[in-house]
Amino acid sequence: MNRYLRRRIINYFNMGVSVLTTLFGLLWLVWLLWTLLAKGLAGIDWQVFTTITPPPGSSGGLANAIVGSLILTGAGVLIGTPIGILAGTYLNEFGRRSRVAPVIRFVNDILLSAPSIIIGVFVYEVVVRTMGHFSGFAGTLALALIVIPVVVRTTEDMLRLVPDSLREAAAALGAPQHRVITSVVYRAARAGILTGVMLALARISGETAPLLFTALNNQFWSTSLNQPMANLPVVIFQFAMSPYDDWQQLAWAGALLITFSILVLNIVARSLLRVRRPGQG
Amino acid sequence: MPNEQAAMPHRPDPAAAPAGPDAGTAPPGRPFSLIRQTAMQPEPSATQNPSPGPAAGRVPDENVPLQTESRPRPPAKLRVERLNFYYGGFHALHDIDLEIPERQVTAFIGPSGCGKSTLLRTFNRIYNLYPDQRATGRVLLDGRDILDRNQDLNHLRAKVGMVFQKPTPFPMSVYDNIAFGVRLYERLSRVEMHERVEWALRKAALWDEVKDKLHQTGTQLSGGQQQRLCIARSIAVKPEVLLLDEPASALDPISTMKIEELIDELKTDYTIVIVTHNMQQAARVSDYIAFLYLGKLVEFNETNIVFTAPAKKETEDYITGRYG
Repeated sequence: MNRYLRRRIINYFNMGVSVLTTLFGLLWLVWLLWTLLAKGLAGIDWQVFTTITPPPGSSGGLANAIVGSLILTGAGVLIGTPIGILAGTYLNEFGRRSRVAPVIRFVNDILLSAPSIIIGVFVYEVVVRTMGHFSGFAGTLALALIVIPVVVRTTEDMLRLVPDSLREAAAALGAPQHRVITSVVYRAARAGILTGVMLALARISGETAPLLFTALNNQFWSTSLNQPMANLPVVIFQFAMSPYDDWQQLAWAGALLITFSILVLNIVARSLLRVRRPGQG
Repeated sequence: MPNEQAAMPHRPDPAAAPAGPDAGTAPPGRPFSLIRQTAMQPEPSATQNPSPGPAAGRVPDENVPLQTESRPRPPAKLRVERLNFYYGGFHALHDIDLEIPERQVTAFIGPSGCGKSTLLRTFNRIYNLYPDQRATGRVLLDGRDILDRNQDLNHLRAKVGMVFQKPTPFPMSVYDNIAFGVRLYERLSRVEMHERVEWALRKAALWDEVKDKLHQTGTQLSGGQQQRLCIARSIAVKPEVLLLDEPASALDPISTMKIEELIDELKTDYTIVIVTHNMQQAARVSDYIAFLYLGKLVEFNETNIVFTAPAKKETEDYITGRYG
């Protein structure tokens, strides 16, 4: 067998295997989305958005859970983002000569991969037990704790992509370091940092475990952060496990809602990153 | 700052113009002067003194051949004394003594890694951004040691501008690229700021090309335009010294030519120090040349002397292309 033929055969073989494994991976994703669409779409109507979660047997929607989820994730991102960005800024801009920075980075990486149920239990122990009841605050805190390491990491990574020449150029004009960072470096890394925040948002909008221990759920309409708060993941968890058909239908609808909002968030975040790379505007 | 500066950009008082008879306006082929420079430079305070005497820089080598008589040297704007520089444990510059004449173009030449850029980067202490880099010795700007630990780095850098090898436009509009540095130290009205931006862009020979795209991002300009934008940005803050670190090495010939013309024009107002790899460029744009080799200053003299009658063998070998 000549060498050229052998190479071609090996090439086709490898290509075939790659394509097959790709298809295998995609199969599950498509299957999942298909099932979600097939079962969830049937449950999506106006009522889902306008009425609150019903008792078994009567009709209702997910309005309280949707609003609760928006509040919890919104507040979680709002708390976690500034902390995450500032910490990421410290790590990349100020911590270069410090010995603490590598330690922080390491701890942050551990936090990043910590199972979210651990965070739920931790907040349960620290906040819920202290306050004596489940609350939106506790849920927000748990979500913020998940947001922080994600934002720290992406902020640091994106700041690192900003070339030092840009920092030098700004400093060479006489700009103090805080101006170099806020006016030039942040601007260059803007899209990347925003992407990190959106990915963090996507990540927490599906988190169930930390909310199960903290915000729990609420059958009624409540926007008070001091009360247990309804939210989509926990509602899905409870309704999907229930024996009632209409609850299960609502769970499918909720699952579809979450999946597609995460999908949209991810697409937006990634397209943002593609259009504007750090350092190129 | 008063807005009259926008109209009258010469910050240094014209009365204090440098001493040399042809300072700042030397035509490319400059006349030989009969005055031979051997005198030591008086104390740096004399640099503010407009006395037309032979305020000379030190000639590094006293055995300059006779045919290399030099003109009276303008007073030193920057004076380097026993400068040593270290990158961590690496000793990059060894006991540099040098005087950069005011409102002249001084070029640093030498093979890669000889320390040209390193030397340049001590003049605005930009190396201070990196914790493992340090310098010892003295660098006097108008007689004041800028290596002093009490030196305010931001003020220093507002006075000593720098343009880098690769164009570094900020990710903001052309207008804001220029206004950014100005806003750091001056509070100008909108009109004044607009005048300043236009002045800087005109000075950098860029105005005609960008006047209709002032609000586009600077990163959309071509490479040569970006580099002139960076020069405009540096002069917009009205520095006294302009450091150019191989400003044309990433550019095409036409952009390079524009930048060289620009340098020639700017030296009436600014003391310019340029690092270049390109010998022809050094010959074209500079009045003085410092040749560095392996972290040491080998030779410093007027450009035409260095190129026609170098005092040191290494210099001759380098400029005739034997290494580097």
